[in-house]
Amino acid sequence: MSNLHESYLSLKNWCDNNIGNHQSSTGELNHFHDIVMRYLFEVALNKVKEESGPPPCQFSWFVMGSAGRFEQAVVSDQDHGLIYEATNKEASNYFRELGKEITSGLHFIGYPYCDGNVMSSNPLWCKSKQEWAVQLSQWMEDESFDSIRFLLIFYDARVLVGEEKCVSRLKQQLHEYIEKKPYFLNRLLVNTMHFKKAVGVFRQFLPETHGSHTGCIDLKHLGFFPFVNAIRLLSIKEHVEETSTLSRLGCLSGLPEYKKGLELYEGDFEKLLSHRLQHHQKVAEYYDDVHFLDVKKLGKTEKKEIKQILMNGKKLQEYTESIIKRTLKNEI
Amino acid sequence: MEDIMFSLNSVWLMLGAILVIFMQGGFILLEAGSTRMKNAGHIAGKTIFTFGIASILFWAVGYGFIFGDNGNFFIGLSDFFYSGYEIEGMSYSTAAYFIFQLAFAGISLTIAFGGFAERAKLSVYVVFAILFSAFVYPVVAHWIWGGGWLAEHGKQDFAGSTVVHLTGAMAAFAATILLKPRMGKFNKNGTVNNLYGHNQVFTALGVLVLWIGWFGFNGGSTFVVDDGFFGFVAVNTNLAAGAGAVSALIISWIVLGKSDIPTMLNGALAGLVAITASCAFVETWAAVVIGLVAGVLVFYSVKFFEKLKVDDPIFALSVHGAAGVWGTLSTGLFATPELATVGLPGLFYGGGFTQLGVQAMGVAVSGAYAFAVSFVILYTMKKVMKGLRVTEEEEIIGLDLSEHGSYGYPEAFVTKEKQKISS
Repeated sequence: MSNLHESYLSLKNWCDNNIGNHQSSTGELNHFHDIVMRYLFEVALNKVKEESGPPPCQFSWFVMGSAGRFEQAVVSDQDHGLIYEATNKEASNYFRELGKEITSGLHFIGYPYCDGNVMSSNPLWCKSKQEWAVQLSQWMEDESFDSIRFLLIFYDARVLVGEEKCVSRLKQQLHEYIEKKPYFLNRLLVNTMHFKKAVGVFRQFLPETHGSHTGCIDLKHLGFFPFVNAIRLLSIKEHVEETSTLSRLGCLSGLPEYKKGLELYEGDFEKLLSHRLQHHQKVAEYYDDVHFLDVKKLGKTEKKEIKQILMNGKKLQEYTESIIKRTLKNEI
Repeated sequence: MEDIMFSLNSVWLMLGAILVIFMQGGFILLEAGSTRMKNAGHIAGKTIFTFGIASILFWAVGYGFIFGDNGNFFIGLSDFFYSGYEIEGMSYSTAAYFIFQLAFAGISLTIAFGGFAERAKLSVYVVFAILFSAFVYPVVAHWIWGGGWLAEHGKQDFAGSTVVHLTGAMAAFAATILLKPRMGKFNKNGTVNNLYGHNQVFTALGVLVLWIGWFGFNGGSTFVVDDGFFGFVAVNTNLAAGAGAVSALIISWIVLGKSDIPTMLNGALAGLVAITASCAFVETWAAVVIGLVAGVLVFYSVKFFEKLKVDDPIFALSVHGAAGVWGTLSTGLFATPELATVGLPGLFYGGGFTQLGVQAMGVAVSGAYAFAVSFVILYTMKKVMKGLRVTEEEEIIGLDLSEHGSYGYPEAFVTKEKQKISS
């Protein structure tokens, strides 16, 4: 293991050789991803240190997206950001360089670039504490679709390196804003509740009809997202700071208001995670393939189970919508 | 009184001709909207000049082959190079009738070219326009409308579900087979990609223009205005179009989970194509049923041709072919004794299977003829002209530039073009 620190290549080899031994559960797989990403960070930091010296101030490196939620598949794209104490040119240059190093390093060892450019190499996701606070307020005030999306992405941030309190403080900023302007919850709701239908009126699957994934269900968008988004939204409302969907569900179920309403969904989400793991171990070579489930290849009981989960995802969305609407009604 | 009726009928026929010729505008919008920007100018332009070719050919030989005397069961053999003479004793102007019929020949050719879209060479359009207008359309039209052998059997095809639409669609089918799919349509693993059209507003407007034009197509096919029967024909036409749009929208919503606009537009057209044969022979409720079935049929037909790996960019095979077949058969089911002025009542009106049989035979033989002859023509052209298709580079760069030297949307491409020139 000591060689690991020396280069990306040895880390990549080690990762490729060992990832197969850590796929008994999504939790185990994500622990493994965490280890890999922390090592990667160290290698990247050492590289930057060699050229630019030690970091000029305290900082935290956090992951978002599926990594933030502890729900990565075997192959997962990157989503991460940096936050640092000092607001000055020196710090911003240093961490920009570090961000770029981390991003290219992760790509080298097998984590594809994020299509949406949610990566530490992007100045939007690499800022000082002060700048982050300003950016968050801007996102909350800004009336664009993207700014809401960014806020939701940020809410899944989980610190991998450094102190947690900076990120936690930023999340509180969002809670405080909602306390003052509860209607903001509705904007978050509207942003996350649009999904293509997964099951038709005759309870038939609605798989892709064109493109290279014809006949497959897009499990990421039709399966995971309805659960992830609904539970994230309820977590924001209830100030739950956990980032994984299952822990969020656990916390929410502890609240009397949700105890009954959310009972069903924990099992569904666990099944979804294990399904993905089982079914995609063989196709995980390409990031895109991981998310597509070929309906024809499913057994009868699997089909039934998946269909039920997809329909429950819709139910959960409706439930979430009713909770938010009710809250807002009471506020008025 | 006779003079007034003669004039009124002639005006009505002329109005029909104008409406049908205006349908070319509908096709321009429909086809350009359903295809990509880089081919838009080409698609719009070729529709105009191929209608020009169709017009001249119809004047020279088409009209004579269809309606000429001294003919036989297969083809007419007089009245070539129509001079504008009036036939004694007719209740409308022969010249107006000529232009009305010419408009139909033009539509059939445009339908055929739907199957060529986005990949055929310009020269292929020119040559095929001539040969189709001389040897394909007039023959089928003579069989059914010109006193040929199917007319003798009492084949019902009021305004041309078979003559115009199926004939065009069969030529399109032959072309799609010989041209092969557009680049990027099918993946190596056999799955199909959607090559989205560039402007749904154009496509929808195209459908509306066609819908309105169809009142000339079907309504005009009464030829005369006495007793106002054209109104009834128009009601049936409109009902079927509406029903087709509705059923296609519903079936796409049920099967795909979303209401697909191109499918809905195809449904309206399929309703129109289907009712074309039967609009004068069936009751209004049957027009609704015919339209509803056409809308569902067109949805599954598109899927069917995709499965066969046939690339049909404008859905000509489904909209004009499948719906044309259904429309022709539908009179064999729904024609009423009072309305069946040609042939017999349909199966549901006590006519038994006789008329349905005649309709089926008409579809099979006309379809087979149009397909076979078009295939032979195109196959020969392929050999003689060293291929029907533009080169891969030309297909990528777009037919606007490769075939005509300028883009339909210059601003959209000018930067790329400049880059290319400077590199």
